[in-house]
Formats: sequence, C-alpha cells, structure tokens
Amino acid sequence: MLVIPCPHCGPRDEGEFDHGGPVRTLPALDGAASAADWQRALHLPAADPGPMRQLWFHRSGCETWVEVTRDPSTHCISAARPAGAAGGGS
Amino acid sequence: MAYSGLSVLAHAAAGNRHWPSAFPAPDLRPSYDIVIIGGGGHGLATAHYLAANHGITNVAVIEAGWVGGGNTARNTTIVRSDYLLNASFGLKNFALGLWADLSRDLNFNLMYEPRGYVDLAHSDGELEHFTLRANAMRLRGAGAAILTGAALQERVPQLDLTGGKRFPVAGALVQEAGGVVRHDAVAWGLARKASAAGIHIVQNCPATGFVIESGRLAAVETPLGRIACGQALISVAGASGAVAAMAGIELPLQAINVQACVTEPVKPALDVVVNYNAGLSYVSQTAKGEFVLGGATDGYVSHARRGSFARIEDALARAVQILPFLSRLRLMRHWSGTADIPMDGNAIVGRTPVEGLMINAGWGYAGFKATPATGWCLAELLATGRVPVLLAPFALDRFETGAEVDDAGIGPYPWLH
Amino acid sequence: MIDRNTVIGFTFDGAAMTGHPGDTLASALLANGRHLVARSLKYHRPRGILSAGLEEPCALVTVTDATGATPNLKATEVPLTEGLAVTSQNNWPRLDRDAGALLQAGGAALAAGFYYKTFMWPRNAWHRTYARHIRRMAGHGQVDPTPDGALYDKRRRHCDLLVIGGGAAGLSAALTAAQSGATAVLIEQDFRLGGALLSSRESVQGLAAAEWAEDAASALGELSNVTVMCRTLAFGQYDHGLIQAVETLSPSSAARAILWTIRARRILLASGAIERPIVFPGNDRPGIMLAGAARLYVRRFAVAPGRRAVVAVADPGERTDTLAALDEAGIETAAVLAPGDTLVGTSGRLHLTGLRWRDASGKRHSTRCDLLCVSAGWTPAAHLAAQTGDGLVFDAGTRSLLPGAGKGALRLVGGARGVLGLADCVADGKAAAHEVMAEMEMHKHLDLPRPDPTPAPEGAFAAGKGKAFVDLQNDVTRADIALAGREGYRHIELTKRYTTLGMGTDQGKTSWTNGILEMAALTGSDPTGIGHTTYRPPYSPVSIGALVGAETGMQMTPVRRTPFHAGFERLGCAFQASGDWLYPRYFPRDGECMAEATARECRAVRGGLGCVDMSTLGKFDIQEADAAEFLSRLYCNDLSGLRPGRVRYALMLREDGYVFDDGIVAQLGEAHYLVTATTARAASVWRHMTKCAAVDWPALDVTLTEVSDHWAAMAIAGPEARKLLLALAPDFDARREAFPFAAVREGTLGGDLPVRVFSVSFSGEVSFEINTPAGYAGELLDRVMEKGAEWQITPYGLEALDVLRIEKGHLSVGTEIDGRRVPGDLGLGRMVSAKKDFIGRALLSRPALQAAGREQFVGLVPEDGMTPIPYGALLCVEALDDTGRAEASGHLTASVQSPTLDHPIALAFLKDGGNRMGEVLWAHSPVAGQSVRVRVTPACAYDPKGERLHG
Repeated sequence: MLVIPCPHCGPRDEGEFDHGGPVRTLPALDGAASAADWQRALHLPAADPGPMRQLWFHRSGCETWVEVTRDPSTHCISAARPAGAAGGGS
Repeated sequence: MAYSGLSVLAHAAAGNRHWPSAFPAPDLRPSYDIVIIGGGGHGLATAHYLAANHGITNVAVIEAGWVGGGNTARNTTIVRSDYLLNASFGLKNFALGLWADLSRDLNFNLMYEPRGYVDLAHSDGELEHFTLRANAMRLRGAGAAILTGAALQERVPQLDLTGGKRFPVAGALVQEAGGVVRHDAVAWGLARKASAAGIHIVQNCPATGFVIESGRLAAVETPLGRIACGQALISVAGASGAVAAMAGIELPLQAINVQACVTEPVKPALDVVVNYNAGLSYVSQTAKGEFVLGGATDGYVSHARRGSFARIEDALARAVQILPFLSRLRLMRHWSGTADIPMDGNAIVGRTPVEGLMINAGWGYAGFKATPATGWCLAELLATGRVPVLLAPFALDRFETGAEVDDAGIGPYPWLH
Repeated sequence: MIDRNTVIGFTFDGAAMTGHPGDTLASALLANGRHLVARSLKYHRPRGILSAGLEEPCALVTVTDATGATPNLKATEVPLTEGLAVTSQNNWPRLDRDAGALLQAGGAALAAGFYYKTFMWPRNAWHRTYARHIRRMAGHGQVDPTPDGALYDKRRRHCDLLVIGGGAAGLSAALTAAQSGATAVLIEQDFRLGGALLSSRESVQGLAAAEWAEDAASALGELSNVTVMCRTLAFGQYDHGLIQAVETLSPSSAARAILWTIRARRILLASGAIERPIVFPGNDRPGIMLAGAARLYVRRFAVAPGRRAVVAVADPGERTDTLAALDEAGIETAAVLAPGDTLVGTSGRLHLTGLRWRDASGKRHSTRCDLLCVSAGWTPAAHLAAQTGDGLVFDAGTRSLLPGAGKGALRLVGGARGVLGLADCVADGKAAAHEVMAEMEMHKHLDLPRPDPTPAPEGAFAAGKGKAFVDLQNDVTRADIALAGREGYRHIELTKRYTTLGMGTDQGKTSWTNGILEMAALTGSDPTGIGHTTYRPPYSPVSIGALVGAETGMQMTPVRRTPFHAGFERLGCAFQASGDWLYPRYFPRDGECMAEATARECRAVRGGLGCVDMSTLGKFDIQEADAAEFLSRLYCNDLSGLRPGRVRYALMLREDGYVFDDGIVAQLGEAHYLVTATTARAASVWRHMTKCAAVDWPALDVTLTEVSDHWAAMAIAGPEARKLLLALAPDFDARREAFPFAAVREGTLGGDLPVRVFSVSFSGEVSFEINTPAGYAGELLDRVMEKGAEWQITPYGLEALDVLRIEKGHLSVGTEIDGRRVPGDLGLGRMVSAKKDFIGRALLSRPALQAAGREQFVGLVPEDGMTPIPYGALLCVEALDDTGRAEASGHLTASVQSPTLDHPIALAFLKDGGNRMGEVLWAHSPVAGQSVRVRVTPACAYDPKGERLHG
C-alpha cells in the first residue's frame, strides 16, 4: 500500500486515490492536431525506465488531481504536486 | 529417452542416476535463422512449433533469467475461451484445442484438467450478456452453457447461493473445456521438446540491443556476444516496453502489477474454476490441494513485482462470498507478476516497423491460456512470412487505423483493464 | 511457565489427554507421550514434532473447537485450551496404520517430478483418472465445509517504533525506545514474551534469562507509551514501511482474529533465528528434534521429550547446554556427536529407536535412543526484510542468508541479523533502538557498538547415503535435489519448482539453507552464487477469515441507497443491487410476478402517469467564464445554440473516438451549467471532467462541483405528467408554452419545496425530472404520490424504465454504449459537430472507425409478429448447420415483450444494419435452444417521430 504525499492533505494511503495513468501531454483542441498526433500522445506515453510522472485523483480527500513522480522499479515517490499547475499538460 | 511410466520405473531401478537434462545448456552460436527473445511459455511454444510444424531448428531462445520464470511462473493456470469478440475467441479457442493434446505432443505431462470454468453473473442483465457470450461460443463451435439456480448448485455444490450476499449470484456461464494446466510444466515441456529438436535454449542471457541495418534486423546483442539472425521475436511480457525500445519501437502498453495467492493445501474441496465478477476474484484448487486465487491489477505501472496487500484482501473477500469455507483456511503465499497491458487490453502480435523483427506482447494477465496458439501462429509467421488469420486482428498498427480489439470496452486506460 | 494446578482436557484422534495452561498443543502431546502426530505429504511417512515454533514442517493437525474445524495448524503454535479436539491428517484408516505409506514402496519411481513424465496415456486419462487419485492423496487436512461462524476484524495502528519479536533483542529495543519517550508497539507471535530467553540458563544483566524476560515484560506493561501484542504475527512488509499482522485472540474473545495494518516511522525486525536440522538418512523419524526445541520443551514446558537421547549439535556451547537440559529432565544421554561425525541412519517404525553413525576415524557406532537432538546451526529469520525486494546474501561466516544494511524504515536486530548470544542480542536491541531514536530526532546519537553476527560453528556433520530429507513437509530428499540438477533444473527457482522444496506451509523455514548448501555441495559451487528464491508474504500462514475481516455477506462493500429508498420501501418496492446502488427494480402488487408488475408499470406510463427514481445519475455543476468552452470540448455535439433555461442531449467520446457516455447539458445561467452522467459512468465521467479541467486545460476558467448526492431526482412521466406538475404548484410557469420539452426551471413547489425541474424524457412520454435537495426527497415523494393519486400515479422501477427505453430505442450504457461504438454505429453520427474541435474528434477520423459495414444499431421484430426473440441471441443470415454453427453478423443487446405494442421487440447491432431495413435474419440462441426469424427495423419501435414528448 503506497503512501502518497498529497500536496493538500499530506501523506495518505493509496486506497484514498484513484489512479489516473501516466501524465500524457495531449494535443490542444484547436482543430490542428491530426489523428497521428493524438495517437502518439494518447497511446505511446513515455516508457523510459526510471521515475515516471503519474496522475492520482484524491477521491477520498481533497478531490484534486495530484502528479506523483514514482520509480516503478522501487515504488519510491520522489515528488508530488498539484497536477496541471505547471507543465502538466497542454 | 521418452518419458513414460516404464521409463520412470527403469530409471528408478538405476537410482535415477541416468536421466538426461531436459534442456541442456548449449554453446551459443554466432548466428541463427531466428532468435527468440524470452524463454517463457510463448517464446518456447514458438520455438517448439518452428521445429515441429516447419522443421526450422536453427533457432536460439535467449532468456534473461530462468526458463518460464516470468508470467508463466506467476499466473493462476486457468485456460478458457469464453470470449465474445471473434479475435479473442479465435486464438484462445484454438489454444484450448491444442492444450488437450499438448501433453502427448510434448511427451511431458502438463496436467491439463478440463475441470470446467464457471463465470458467475450477479444480475439478470449480466446473465443476459453472459448468454450472448455463450451463444457466440456455441455458434463458433465451442461448448458453453448457462446454468442458474438448482442446476448451477448441482454443478458446483460448494457455491453458497443462499441470500444475504452483497451481490447475489444470478447464474453462470459454464465452459466445461475450460480448466487448469500446470504452468511450470508448460515451460519445461516446451523447452525439453524444442531442445530435443536442436533448438538452443540459453538462460541468463538478456537481449541488450539490436543491430538494425537499413530498417532491417541484422543481429541481437547479448552479454554473451552478438547473435546474427534473419529474424527475431520479442516475447518478454512485462519487459516488452524496454526491449522494444532497444529497437526504437514504442509500444502502446503499460506494465502493471497483478497479484495472486495460494492457501495451504487441503484435501479436494472444489473441482471447478470459479470466477466472481462483482469485483474480480478467480478461484481454483491445485492438484496439490492449495486454493489459488487472483484478482484485479494494482492499476499503476510497476516493475517491482510486488503490490498492495489490499488487492489480496479484496480478492479473498470476494471469494469468501461464494465459498465461505475459505475463511477457515490460511493464506500461504502471495506474489506478483508484471502484466503488459495495451491501450485496448488486448495482445500485440505480429510484425514491427523493423523488418525481420516480430513482437509478441501485451498479453496482460490473459496470456497463459493462449500459449500454444500464439506459438503456433508466430511460428507460421516466422516460417512463411504470412500473417495467420488468427493473428491478423492483433497487429501493432491497429491503434493507428482504429481497429482496436477491446473485449471489456474500457479504452486506452491500461490501468483500468 | 506452566500452571500445573490447572488441568486442561483435550483429545488427539479421539484419545483423551491432559495438559496445563501455558502448554502448546505440541508440548502437551509430548507430555502425553505422543510423538507420532502426522503423516508426510507425499510418502505418508510417520512424522513427529521437529521444532517448537512456527517453523514446524511436520506436526500439522486439524483442531476443532466450538466454531468448527481448522486444518493444517502447527501443533507447536496452538496454545492448549480446554476441550480442543485434535485430529491427525493425511492418513487412512488411521495415523499409526496408514495405507498411504505403501507409497514408500514406490521409492525412486516417485522421485521429484515423476508426475511430469507419466500419466499421459490414454488421452484425457490424467484428468479422468490419475489427477483424481493424486488429488485425493495430496493436501493435508480436510476443510470444514460449514460456514465459518467466527467473527473477524481489521484495525490500524500508528507508532514511532514497531518492534517485531519479543525475544532478547526485541524486548531490549522496545524498552530502550519506550523509556526514551517513543510510542512503541511490540508484537510477538508467541503467546508469551521472551523467545529464547525462556529456555536459557544463562544470566542476563545479573538475572536468570527467564526472569529478565519477565522483568522486561512487566516494565513494558507499566509504560503507557508501549503497546504489547502477543500471538500477533507480523506476516508481511509492504511498500513504504507498511506492516501487516494478524492477532489471534483467545477463545473467550468475541472475535477470533484481527488483521492489523501498522504504520511506524521505524521498524525493528527482531524475529530471531531458526535452527537448522541435519540432512542425513532417516532424519525424519518422530523423536528427532531440533536441539533448541528440546531445550525449550524441557525448560519452558517441563516436558521430557524422550528417555534416552543422542545429541548431535554443531555448536559446542549449545551442545553443552542441550546436555544440561536433558540432564535437568532426567533424560539419559546415550551418545554425543560432534562435527566430523557421519550420521548413517536411524531405525524405528513409528518412532525413533536407534541411530547409526561413524566417527571421524571411520569407526561405526550405533545406539538405542528415542530422542535425537540435532542442530547444524541457525538461519536468521529475516524474511520480512527480504519481502520488499532487498535480496539476502549467503554469508560464509554464519553459513546463512543475511540481509544487507537495510533501507527504508525497517532495520534488523539480534538473531534476525545473525547475532545469536543473549547478551549480544540485548546489546544489539539497545544499540539499534538508540540508532533509530536518533534518526527520528527523539534522542541524541550515542553510536553504541552493534555486535557482529555470530560465526557458524566450525565443521559440519557428514551424512551417509540413503533417503535424507531436506524438506520434511514436502518429502524433498537430497536425491531429489540432485535429480533436479541432473535434469537441468539448476537455477534455484527451477529446483524449487521441480522438487517443491520449500513450497509447503512452513515455506521452507527449516529447509532453505540446507537446500542451498546441498545444491552447492552437489555442484561443487560456492553457496553465495546460488542465491535464493523470492521471499513472499506471508511469513507464516495467516487466517483468511482475518484478512477478510467483517467484509462478509451484505457488509462486503458499502451499499448506496437513494434518498427515496425509505419511501419506496413503504410502497412495497423490490430492490436490486446494481453496482454500488440498491436500486428500485419494480413495485409488485398482490400476487404479481416481476414481468406482470413491469408490464403494468409500463402501461401506466404510456397511458397515464408514473414516477421513477433518477437519483443515481451523476450530476455535475459547471460554472465560470469558460464553462461553455469547457463543455464544448468535452462533448462531441454542438452546444453553441444552448441558452439559459434550455437542455440538450449530449454525447461524450473518449480521446480515442469511441462513445464514452451520454447525458444532458442544462444551462442554468449565463455561465452556469448542470450536466448529467449515466449511473454506471458517474464516477469515471467525473474523473474525466476534473482531469480535463485541472490537468489538460488548466488555462480554462471553470469550476466543477460534484452534486450527485446533493440532489434527489424523480421523474414523473406519462401523458398526465404535466397535469401533475401543475398540481404540485410550481412557482414558475409550467404550462406547455412556457415550459416546453428540453428546458429547465428552478423554483419551488407549493412555495416551500425547492426544486429544479428538467423537461427531459428517457421513456418517450412527457416527462419532468424533478430534482430537490436530498433532504426533501421524502417530502417530494409524498406530494407526488398524493397529488398524483388523481391520475393513479404508478411508481415504476428499473425494469419498466428499461422496457420503455427499449421501445424507444434509447441507448443504455453497458449494452449499447459498450466502449466499442462510435456515434455513427449508434445512429448518432449526425450529432457529431463538424464545426468545432472536441475530445475524440481526431481519432474518430481513423479509417477503421469510418469504414462502411460496421455494426450498427437496429431494432428487430419477429417475422411472424409474435414469437418471443430470445435474449442474448446472435443474428445470422443462415440457419444453424449440422454441427450447430453459424456465422454471426450481429447480436442482440436487448429483447422484451413490448407491453405497449403487445408484441416482442429487440435491439441489436448488425453489420451494415442501417442499409438492411426489412431484411429477415435468424436470431439464434443455442443456449436457449431457440432460433427465431426476425425482421430488421429502425431502433425506435414506438412513436418514432417523438410526438408524444410535446404533450
């Protein structure tokens, strides 16, 4: 059971959150992006080894999205911040 | 020497001192026709059928760890083909046919037991959908039945169908040909047969890179040296993303942790595989007497092969709903595997943008049951260059064309599949 | 430590026996002269009691108490209580004459993996014949099939320091930390604190060891910042320092066991060490016992486990101590063996009667004995440290697997890191406690020295040739391990799986280190290179009842009830579990079955007036300047024409272009919207919306509020619906001209009942969805029923709701919106706006999603106009062939007898269905044994022009 350091609520049990997948930088909805742009952005999230940025929704807490940087090999969490606050997406 | 009751007795008389190695460690050659990366069930089945169906034996299977040590070693051993979509049904039902004779084909007892797979529905609406699935199976030549009430109770006397349950059981889809296969034996039997045919199986030998010349695969790099090859297959389950990346291929999947557990062994108390569907919990009893249970994934990406205990608690709570006596047993061991789950929850099998390099990935936690069929079809692809009909729906480019094969209809959220 | 003044009665295989408080089942059995207590798993060999703790591989029994029978309990860890009925396992007809023992005659033919090599002929014989027999032979105890009446619970605990293990190191650590002010929890799997202190004659800090333990225990009891939990097994370490433990309660407690979830800032693992048996021929007979266990039985339990003993203990100090213990119990010592001696064999059928050995000079010896105390050394019980992936490393000095320094919250102390002497353990506990206290900044750093791990005894016992067991529970012999190596199963994971070494209920606690040493010896390799298999929780088996806790029956997951629940209950509603919800299903009147009630409810809606609970829909309040832009991006249809007071049906796609959900968008004010989601997708749509707003489009000025639970929602539907609405006295103009279809009004009913009313319809009739703050739900229901009585208002449920929507060809999530459909498949292609960008637009344009011939949503009627269409059928052009097969070109999503049209109708997906109107097909349901000719129609079977909406 992970302990996720919610930037609003403090360290909280994983069970309070819904997982929201990797941070994906989706194209802007300005009519310009092609299917290929969207397909890459949606289907091919970065698979680099090492820490990855993921979204968690603090369902049983502040009901906000949190961007958590976690190493999938060790489950160590190195950062957590409000998602989308800066550079979280398009 | 062939395995048989007689050979067991003969060897026993000689103190078992003369059994040969089932898969002797070969000296790696500098070049092969085909290199299969990944010595799990799928990779070994591909090797076996290359030899058995196509006479191709200049093949190396390289395995980063030990034979059958990935998801082949970690699944809950269930085989079945109760799928609605043609693509999913086709491959898994073909596999079910192969499982029935594979022990004798391999001369290795894989302990296939068609004990029956019982998929529980918890509302009339769900049962209606199960009926659709059962009908689809029947029209395609597979056996399936819908059982309710007394008939279900008679088929599975251990099921607690009394009231007072959070999600009552409305009925079940039963596939009698579904059942269990001894998972480790699958890897060993395939490895032994392929090995006997002259295929090299090299353990502790990870792929560390690919040599690609003008878009065509030339060689696979390993710590034991470069292996030149005409074709290669990546069949590495949880490591798919990382290995494909070495060839510059991005895969639309995520590696997610999935857990399972066993109880202490007891005398036979359940002779079918039961799947509880209000939340997920699948239960069967092994030949040794342990109850083996699995549940939903942990959701998040993980390569740690461990997960949250809450998932185990959840799977147990759901199993106890239908088999209350389980609460008297004790949990003996629980473990994890890394399930590579694509954006539509279905496998990615076939060609890649690199000519000569094939991919077999994305089986998530549903790969074991497809093992022989996938191997059969991949062997055909590697041997003939033609994509077998059963594999066509699983092409990597389906995400670009919009031909996803999404059994659950969940969409591009692997953590929800 | 044993209360001889009180006698406890119990039975073993029906024979009455007695013991005393303080006994374990094992000590009581031994005191009653019972050594043979079990049969082994594979060969049914007689087995006794090897150990005195949870490492016990042999003495598995079934214990029956008032709550039923529990199989596979280790006699060594069950405290004796009055009236226990203990039975032996895995034997027939009885323990001392077990027919299964004939298997031993199979000998080498039953070696490791023999079953992979045979039982293959004829086809299916494995399943039909062999597996059935093997399954009957396998397994240990019998599970009690009756429901488990015991209660279980789950609880949580937080502390500064968790100490796992109440032996010398653990007691010392807990005392040190607690006296420095830390909140500490000490857990001990035994029912008494003390561990090895309880069987030692050493003195610790000037006190006899057992006295020191008692002093420490009472000191801890005095401290308010310490919680001591005995009979509590810490079975797993999980991510981020989580410890899971199960506390087994005494029979007098209300609950049988509790699952504890413990989070501590620091964890000290003081779980001690496990003694290692000697692998030699015949080493499994009852009467052969670990030396440490023998000392414990003598000194803690006052039991003499034999009359005439041989001692084969590697460590000289322990050898002397064992001899002393035997002497204290009046047990005669027949011989003392030392490393360098070769154990050749044992004799005895059901109990040890003699031992044969050779000394270092090769001279043969033998003696009569009924007890053999063995010890090859100790293995640290560091499992919890290894469970999170930090491997253990074979250490040549201690000849055991030792953990590294330890990362994260958990540190090892005492025997768990190979420190064996009691004084060293006490010192180690104190030093470790100081270390972690300093880390937590609760104490200055004293930097006390940590004692080194105790080196393994010099030299080892040798063993002769013959059946020597490495894993006593799974009957894995040295020959099996050799065979596995010979056959290529050399990697330790393969050896384990091929031989089943360490895979029993003891999880190899007494066999793993020996197994590694055997493998090393066989291959002449360094044990360091062999590694070990992954350590997995639980450390020792734990009760599934405890892991489930109180989450059984109706309590498995919470039930959501709508605000109308109590009111509907009074109206005689039959409810149905649907996802999280308990939803009104139908309202039977006297003697009606569900179908009859549903048909009546449908007719009432079509012909008069009905009311239905819509509270489970997701409801989201969207506000601020960019709300319109936000919704425009979110939904695929054009919302630009929407005005305050108006409502529009809206379709939401996933990013990949498939239909995700449908609902309504109601504009309440200039920059104020209320949108709904289907019940099934309410949570995921909310996540999707919030993620879009917060993560993808942070620049948009929009505020989202989840108001699903805030509003109770009831739809009144039917030709008389508007009359009822007017009768409810709204304070807004609710006449048809002023409040047309697809509009929303806010106000009150009767001047005092706050409402929002939406003129939207799922049934196809005039319909008003009245939302009121949840607390007013009862009042709304009362008024609707009271005023509606004039038009015989009929409450209806999920079933009628479904029939009505099927008649109208409306979509339902799960059946039609199944995650694989694009708008065009559902007949909604024209809704997709070409004038704007929105989620799903780009990927919806992919060729396969635009291809001709996709499955499309259609209706069906029976060709003969009357034959019911079997639900779950597939649509085929052809009749079934001789083998019962046919190629399908579509499938049904719903099928009902329409009470309105008075004939069967169905909905379906059909390949290219839009172009196949009027075509006659087969609807095959082999499961139902029915094939019906059906004609393809538009999906909407009733009032296709929607004229009834505007009444």
